[in-house]
Amino acid sequence: MTVPHQRLSPDPALALRGLVKRFDTKLAVAGIDLDVPAGSFFGLLGPNGAGKTTTLSMAVGLLRPDAGQARILGYDVWADPAAAKARIGVLPDGVRLFDRLTGTELLAYHGLLRGMDADVVDQRSAELLDVLALGADNRTLVVDYSAGMKKKIGLACAMLHAPRLLVLDEPFEAVDPVSAALIRDILQRYVSGGGTVVFSSHVMAVVERLCSHVAILADGSIRLGGTLAEVRGERSLEDVFVEVVGGRTATGSELAWL
Amino acid sequence: MAVGVRHFVKLKLRITANGLRGQTWRVALFVLGTVLAACAAVGGYALFSLPGLLGEQRAAEVALPLAGGLLVLGWLFLPLVFFGVDESLDPARFALLPLPRRTLIRGLFVASLAGVPALATFAGTLGMVDSAARLGGPAAALVEFVGVVTGILLCAAISRSLTSAFATALRSRRARDLATVLLACVAALLGPLQLAALAGAENADWTGVARVADVVAWTPFGAPYSMGLDVAAGRLWAVPVKFVLVLVTIGLLLWWWSATLERAMLGSVGRSGRRERTASARKPVAQLVPGWLPRTRFGALTAREMRYWWRETRRRASLITFSVVGVFLPVFIGVSSGTAGAPTGMLIFVGALAAVSLANQFGFEGSAYAANVVAGVPGRLELTSRVAGFSVYVVPSLLVIAIVVGVAVGRPETIPALVGMLAAAYGVGLALVLPISVRVAYALPDTANPFALSSGGGMAKGLLTFAALFGAALITVPMQLVAFLAHDVWLWVGLPMGLVYGAGALLLGLHLAGPMLDRRMPELLATVTARQ
Repeated sequence: MTVPHQRLSPDPALALRGLVKRFDTKLAVAGIDLDVPAGSFFGLLGPNGAGKTTTLSMAVGLLRPDAGQARILGYDVWADPAAAKARIGVLPDGVRLFDRLTGTELLAYHGLLRGMDADVVDQRSAELLDVLALGADNRTLVVDYSAGMKKKIGLACAMLHAPRLLVLDEPFEAVDPVSAALIRDILQRYVSGGGTVVFSSHVMAVVERLCSHVAILADGSIRLGGTLAEVRGERSLEDVFVEVVGGRTATGSELAWL
Repeated sequence: MAVGVRHFVKLKLRITANGLRGQTWRVALFVLGTVLAACAAVGGYALFSLPGLLGEQRAAEVALPLAGGLLVLGWLFLPLVFFGVDESLDPARFALLPLPRRTLIRGLFVASLAGVPALATFAGTLGMVDSAARLGGPAAALVEFVGVVTGILLCAAISRSLTSAFATALRSRRARDLATVLLACVAALLGPLQLAALAGAENADWTGVARVADVVAWTPFGAPYSMGLDVAAGRLWAVPVKFVLVLVTIGLLLWWWSATLERAMLGSVGRSGRRERTASARKPVAQLVPGWLPRTRFGALTAREMRYWWRETRRRASLITFSVVGVFLPVFIGVSSGTAGAPTGMLIFVGALAAVSLANQFGFEGSAYAANVVAGVPGRLELTSRVAGFSVYVVPSLLVIAIVVGVAVGRPETIPALVGMLAAAYGVGLALVLPISVRVAYALPDTANPFALSSGGGMAKGLLTFAALFGAALITVPMQLVAFLAHDVWLWVGLPMGLVYGAGALLLGLHLAGPMLDRRMPELLATVTARQ
């Protein structure tokens, strides 16, 4: 695993300070501090319900935090949303796309929504549809796409305006191996070109393969963070993860009826 | 352990309670709805017990079957037009459970009775028992009570089976188009039918109405409510016949429901009506944005809205319902009332009703709105484009409505003024509805049934609709006064005045709701995201 060359930048690509979110009585995110260096490939790890989606939603302005700050490339997401939002591309998880549009229409929509020139939108959309093997002349509505195709078109929408930071929630979930390899390639190329990727996952293999930095999230707070080498040490990432999260190992005596 | 009816009822009540938990405005709406329902129940009781109090056997025989029949019709149509169907117990969710179909049907059926509307209807119709008791003693009261109980069962059965049948029919896209139009037409005819009945009651002689009532008393609509009166009149033989008639009807409806339910449950997995479309050689932006719209953010937003009003079932259903209601209602009133003036009041209603379709505009697309939040679309732009996209369909409909009404009442020279009135009502309606759509949005369930609402949503939808209609009627009072008092002047100033009135109100509404949306974007997204 090679750590991509890191460019020196005064501001981290994403900086979270003391983020807190409470749903009813449950403390979903309990004060998160996180710095994502510009040019890094950052993996946010955590078991289901750890608060990954909540954290990323607050970081990109989809969910208002109860306390704390989120800054994107130096711009405060909640104080100066226009400047911050213009610099990010987001692939939310568990959120519908405008799925009554065709893939092509959806891309055009996102491009124009980002204030891009129509000709640039045309050119980039065609290219993205081609590279992601979605078919530039495919007139199927996105609602009829397979889960993997939906992820791909969502990714295309997030990248269309060439943001400096990509925030991807579970980009590899429900994606077949061929598409996953394609997405990995594209993301690696994007990072080597100076972009920053933050993505959440609970698939250790993918994270170990891609990331320069990781943070492990459990019960709404960061348990461990740093470069991959620092976090992993001499062991496998999976061992570290299970130990940090405090997973339970089967003794063999339970579920005997199975 | 055998699954019984009470499990379904408990589940329904639990879901209703959980839907209210921690949401103050929902609790408030629920309480308000319950209070209104209670008022309606008390009013109904008083009304239905009146013939008994007066000791008028014949009046009771006319009023009770007719009123009961209207009640059943109301149960059939009101959910489709105004309230939607409470699908808190979505049949598809039971697809994987090892439940016999009989158990499922019985459970869902009884659970559908455990709600405010059913209880209110039942309480109101108890007034008929009161009447029967006063007219024919305890025996008549007992029979009437049985009749009222079967009546409420009939109401629930008819509303469940029809909406379920439509939901099933709407699954394939082709059938969906057809059924939506058909249903919208039928629903739209409800108003005229009632008005026809009223007009008939005014004009026709009393015996004519009585004859109609006698016939209705022998249909499943009126039969449950006239049983006790038959006892009072000594026609004991009629009771078992009517009883069987109603029971058979309920049985048939439930059987039909269970047949469509089976298909609905199967249909929920996969089979989403894939539509292959012919390839397009046009460039991406040209595919989305039609040539006459600017190729900008506004153009993209408006174009997407236009696509959505046509491609999404829920939106299309409301669009078509509105178009049909909008044409039929004023024409019918204009023709049946027979007075010289055009039905101005009805046009206010129609114009405002158009705007009401936007009352939960953010709920239609649910979490997909996240894309606009991430892109940071300014509130005013967002709302303006939504109004524009919707108006592409509504403004032509309003023009057609004005022309049709003007011609139908034989006063084509009033058409420009009618357009003005519609424009004013539409603009005022939008001004009222835009802040509502930002402040009190609610999530819609993710089902294929375009009339489905999550628990409590029906109450919200109905109340907001009436609030907006009432508000629009109130705010356009100056227009109505001019139209009424200075009729000749109105013919000339109606159009410009209406346009200015409507546009002014719309601008004010946008000015108010835009910044509101800017402040509330994430909160709005959270409220329209269906909880999983």
